[in-house]
Amino acid sequence: MTATAFADTTSGRSGVGLVASVQDLSIHFQTKTGMLHAVDEVSFDIRDGETLGLVGETGCGKSVTARAFMRLVATPPGVYAGGRIDFWSSETRAAGGGPVNLLTIPEDEMLGIRGNRIAMIFQDPGKALNPALSIGDQLAEVFYQHRSDELLDPLGPGTPAVVRRAARQEATRVEKILLKVPPLRSQANRVKAAVDDRVAAALADTQIPNPGKIMDRYPHELSAGMKQRVLIAQALACDPDLLIADEPTTALDVTVQARILELIAELLDRHDTSVLYISHDLALVRGMCDRVAVMYAGRIVEIGLTEEVFSDPLHPYTRGLMNAVPSSAHRRGALTAIIGSVPELIDPEPSCRFNTRCPYAAGVCRRLDPRFLRHTLEHGVVCHAHDDPAALAARPDEMPSFARVDDAR
Amino acid sequence: MAEVAQHPPVVTTPVSGPLAVRLRRLGEIVRQVLRNPVTVIGLVIIVLMFTMALLAPVITTPNEPNPYQMPRDWSALNEPPGTPGHPLGTTAHGGDVLYGIIWGSRTSLRLSLIVVGVTVTIGTIVGSLAGYLGGKVDEFLMRVVDIFLAIPELIFALAIAAMLGPSFTNIILALAVVYWVKYARIIRGQIMHIKQNDYVDSARVIGDSKFHIYAKDVLPNSFTPVMVQATMDMGSIVLVGATLSFIGLAEAGLAEWGVLVSEGQVGISTGRWWASTFPGLMIFLWALAFNLVGDGLRDVLDPRTESR
Repeated sequence: MTATAFADTTSGRSGVGLVASVQDLSIHFQTKTGMLHAVDEVSFDIRDGETLGLVGETGCGKSVTARAFMRLVATPPGVYAGGRIDFWSSETRAAGGGPVNLLTIPEDEMLGIRGNRIAMIFQDPGKALNPALSIGDQLAEVFYQHRSDELLDPLGPGTPAVVRRAARQEATRVEKILLKVPPLRSQANRVKAAVDDRVAAALADTQIPNPGKIMDRYPHELSAGMKQRVLIAQALACDPDLLIADEPTTALDVTVQARILELIAELLDRHDTSVLYISHDLALVRGMCDRVAVMYAGRIVEIGLTEEVFSDPLHPYTRGLMNAVPSSAHRRGALTAIIGSVPELIDPEPSCRFNTRCPYAAGVCRRLDPRFLRHTLEHGVVCHAHDDPAALAARPDEMPSFARVDDAR
Repeated sequence: MAEVAQHPPVVTTPVSGPLAVRLRRLGEIVRQVLRNPVTVIGLVIIVLMFTMALLAPVITTPNEPNPYQMPRDWSALNEPPGTPGHPLGTTAHGGDVLYGIIWGSRTSLRLSLIVVGVTVTIGTIVGSLAGYLGGKVDEFLMRVVDIFLAIPELIFALAIAAMLGPSFTNIILALAVVYWVKYARIIRGQIMHIKQNDYVDSARVIGDSKFHIYAKDVLPNSFTPVMVQATMDMGSIVLVGATLSFIGLAEAGLAEWGVLVSEGQVGISTGRWWASTFPGLMIFLWALAFNLVGDGLRDVLDPRTESR
């Protein structure tokens, strides 16, 4: 079905200047009543160094899309129904290699990418830390996982195999006991000290006061803002190429939120990381992102440069979203909600998913999937109405017949 | 990481390493447990019982060749408590009640430690496989567990022990076969709940392998209910074990509380109360003590669950 195949033609396919490219990604969930199309042929690119915002209401599939990058969607009930996510890591690019498809590479390769080349920050920092591990131990995990060679470097080539295995976290119980006995102990301690230094530096990076003390604390002893800083430190520890931020400030209160956002912006700038920023907060996305993709009911309906999308929203849904945001331009009481709610996504028929709530919906919207239409070089929309430029201006009951679209299929 | 060089060296306080942190945490838990006087009573009883069990060869003269067999004094049958040489009296077969009680605590300790140790291990392995892997593995293992659960615990243990023949080792075996199911269920439920947590995703996201996540994130956070249940079972297993040996599934004359109660039961109606009462009291105290401590542990480790 190419009708919805929403190629983000705004950037090249060659991989130059891209960090990741999502093509026709479909993720379905097996339910008792049928297949739920949570993500339906979604395509977009993430360019090198950019922050791409993915906005939409709860349940529109933005988190599922994000989790697919890490292959975190549980299968079953999830099904990767189609499409691919190409990822260009800085390592393979330096070696002249091409992209890898994150959905199909073997698990051991994926382990090397997670936390190392792609990192993720979760919504609720209160739940994302293991309550049984101290902050220091928890952060040390990343370094043991991805930087064990660097940790062992200063020890020289004569390092006993046991110490090496311990640094890669492959040591068995017996070996761990061996490491507490003198000759090995001093070397194990040097590895530990090297890790601690890195952990402390990573924490200091996120402006946590007194990192040495925080490392010995347990998650329940920290505030939510602190925990999010720890998670940010963990995410950026290995200088990833791509950071996926899944509503990182939603669970924080407003003042903390502002400071965390500042921190993220500053760190991203310094690390030169590309970001997929997921949020339902339009004002926030407007401030953070270079480009915005709007998602509705499992599909991307509009994508473009932030200024373009905000100054000239094309899709009725995007317009609805913007009208529902309070701003100084609006008079008090002038907020408009979008009528209705997200449609049932179980085994959907071809149609525009927004037709049940759209003030401009015509017959064709209920029968055919709309296709991607480019408005400007960077700005695209998926809407039948835009197949005919006069359509949006027309009143709903005077919608054109869309004969041209029908004929094209 | 290139950033390391940009920062001034960060000094980590050497005094409080992870071990010190862990000890501090353990200290907190111990202090909280000791705040409850009822738990302290339970702990005191347990400590006394354990001391008695450990010092048994010192405070009594062990019966040769097998000290776990009660010595028979055929010249002193049915002696009441206070008789010289038999401070708690003797049974109808000339068994010394005090000796039976002291060596019985040793038998009970052995029984409960072995059964709890074995069942927790098996239960954890089976429950982990089922809960963590899920799917067909879970389906299969849980049906096996269902089969075990379909038969009442005591009857099942009795049937196995009777089939294997009367011996205390067989009682231990029978109880181990029956009791692991409970732990498998607890661990499975806990793991299914814990693996939904964001910190498990968070660990996957930093590149931890599935087994590493299990060992680091899932199991340690799933284990507290098992510790509570195991403490309680340390008590109840002795009770069930005594039941089985009471009805004659242990060797005759074994220094075991259930055996002792059964030897004394004929005398109850004729006023010779001591041979049954003292070991009965021991069973009661043992079960009570572990239940009190188990409850106290639950309040501290797992404050969300109400005590049953």
